[in-house]
Amino acid sequence: MMPRVWCFLSLAVAVFVCGCSQQAPVIKIGFSGPLTGDQAPLGEDMLHGAQLAIDQANARGDALPGLKLELVAMDDQRSPTQSVTVAKKLVSDADVMAVIGHLNSNCTMPASAVYHQARILNISPASSNPQISRQGFDTFYRTSATDDMQGLGAAHYAFHDLGARRIFILDDMTTYGRGFSNEVEIHLKKLGAEILGHEGINQGEKDFAPLLTKIKALSPDLVFFAGMFPEGALLIRQRSEVGLAAQFMGGDGLFDPALIELAGAQAAEGIYLTTITTDITKIPTAQAFVKAYQERYGDIGAYSAYAYEAANIVIWAIQKAAKKDRAAVLAAMQSFKDFPGIFGNANFDGKGDPIGRQIGIFTVRNGKFEFVKTASLQ
Amino acid sequence: MTPLQVFLQQLANGFTLGSIYALIALGYTMVYGVIQLINFAHGEVFMVGAYVTLALILALAALGAPWWLLLLAGCAGAMIACGLLGGVVERLAYRPIRQAPRLNALITAIGISFFLQNALMLIFGATDRQFPAVMPFIRWNIGGVTITLMQLVVWISGAVLMGALQVLVMSTKLGKAMRATAQDRTACALLGIPVDRIIALTFVIGSMLAAVGGTLFGLNYGTINFHDGYLTGMKAFTAAVLGGIGNIPGAMVGGLVLGLLEGLGAGYLSSQWKNVFTFLILVALLLFKPTGLLGERVAERA
Repeated sequence: MMPRVWCFLSLAVAVFVCGCSQQAPVIKIGFSGPLTGDQAPLGEDMLHGAQLAIDQANARGDALPGLKLELVAMDDQRSPTQSVTVAKKLVSDADVMAVIGHLNSNCTMPASAVYHQARILNISPASSNPQISRQGFDTFYRTSATDDMQGLGAAHYAFHDLGARRIFILDDMTTYGRGFSNEVEIHLKKLGAEILGHEGINQGEKDFAPLLTKIKALSPDLVFFAGMFPEGALLIRQRSEVGLAAQFMGGDGLFDPALIELAGAQAAEGIYLTTITTDITKIPTAQAFVKAYQERYGDIGAYSAYAYEAANIVIWAIQKAAKKDRAAVLAAMQSFKDFPGIFGNANFDGKGDPIGRQIGIFTVRNGKFEFVKTASLQ
Repeated sequence: MTPLQVFLQQLANGFTLGSIYALIALGYTMVYGVIQLINFAHGEVFMVGAYVTLALILALAALGAPWWLLLLAGCAGAMIACGLLGGVVERLAYRPIRQAPRLNALITAIGISFFLQNALMLIFGATDRQFPAVMPFIRWNIGGVTITLMQLVVWISGAVLMGALQVLVMSTKLGKAMRATAQDRTACALLGIPVDRIIALTFVIGSMLAAVGGTLFGLNYGTINFHDGYLTGMKAFTAAVLGGIGNIPGAMVGGLVLGLLEGLGAGYLSSQWKNVFTFLILVALLLFKPTGLLGERVAERA
């Protein structure tokens, strides 16, 4: 352990020294997401997407004359309190012109208020809770689809394609999980499915056998879980251990290869999940991104593309503003229209939500995520 | 499933969780019994056990060892590592301040807990680690109730270890010395009992039991994280208090009761309220019986 500690210490000192001796003026773009803890894989994928966009922009030349871009990554530990601390740190740095983040809706929600107060552009690449953009913050935009859409797509697929009629809904009691599961429940009820129960689980817990045994006794067709992959993996694994035969479905929070690894390929086989995109590798406008990302980082994570898109929009806004000034960058977003993004032409509605997003359905086959279809939203 | 089958299944589920809680709770209660210290670092010792098992299993699996050998070696290695760790922590952190006010030791324990947690994070990384499925997955159906091989292993190892500990404490010379040290340290020292060594051994034995708990935890749930020790440790501490802290059979009973309460709470009430339900029962019990289910010997000391 000691060599590692020294490694960290010397790294910290090195960063500190560099930070002080930094002479070249830069434009900083803040990034915030979980970089440690159980959801770190998702946060890292997001960070990679943003980093790629910024490195590509720097390779093309200075963002503004004499000013390079620099990504400042912060770890919000998927904790709402930590996310506010991190947000305050970012806005107090006068070089930071915009913030990309956060991942979890319950982090983005309080942090977005900090950014709004500081009048700084904030684009979330992942937080899908519809309430965030309904706060009326003109500083907030997001590149991810929202859960009212995702909930509709999930309910449709479960009811029409999987033929599920008796459904038990679980969520992780977070802003994201509860909001998403409520949307799913509303739409399933509209379609005429029977909701056998809707219960929460605690994040970080390990033992779900009693809950799954109870669900098994109700013999549902489908168990729907709105939450993140660490708990999702445990539910999937323990469901096969207690012999719960019902189909299993979840949302974009499960869309990470770590889900399959942690649950075990056998237990994860045949589960379904909705994602806030169709198959990215098949979108023509995304090909350059897919190639560059895979060459550098390997598999594309659930939110990598959205972070990449968010970073490119931020860079566009900085260049449009043509000066290193937060207010000018924010004002530039007013003239944002038909941006050639990786999902086609990007536009925002009046609330800052993206227009024209699609919901994809994925399944797990032979230990890998496989695209099934684009969800119907009728 | 009939309601009776569901109930029996929930009992089986709760028993599994309870056996793991009980193994960890023993460490809390033994240390408290001997030096009245709530060793908050114990949850992290348990987690170290899980990680050592994981490291050994991965290393030996690469050499192609059979599954039972992986299991035994992983568990034995974890016991040795945690036993050493428990002993070293006692020697370096607790012994120098044993004469200081009790609060100092408590704060030290919390510090050690943070230290170990962060050490685990630096060594093994901050993300969830997957435990390989070492054991063959076998499931029996007994009258509609499903029992897995894993559950059986948890129950049997829990029962055997608790039985062994009971024999050790009640019928060996070391056990007698431990009980004597718990009653009156000064008198023991006067009689020539090596008090320091007995206290260190108490830590070692408690930590070894936690190591087995860690092995079983990792195997049963399949994923481990550096901060799992905190929540599980807290629950085990609760179990020790529930049974009567300082009382060894109490920790066993407390662990099983807590596991059953959680299982039945999640199964019959609601999984999101299960902790509320569990802790309400704990508060109610401690209101009416402050010494826990089986009581402890505080009265004897006073």
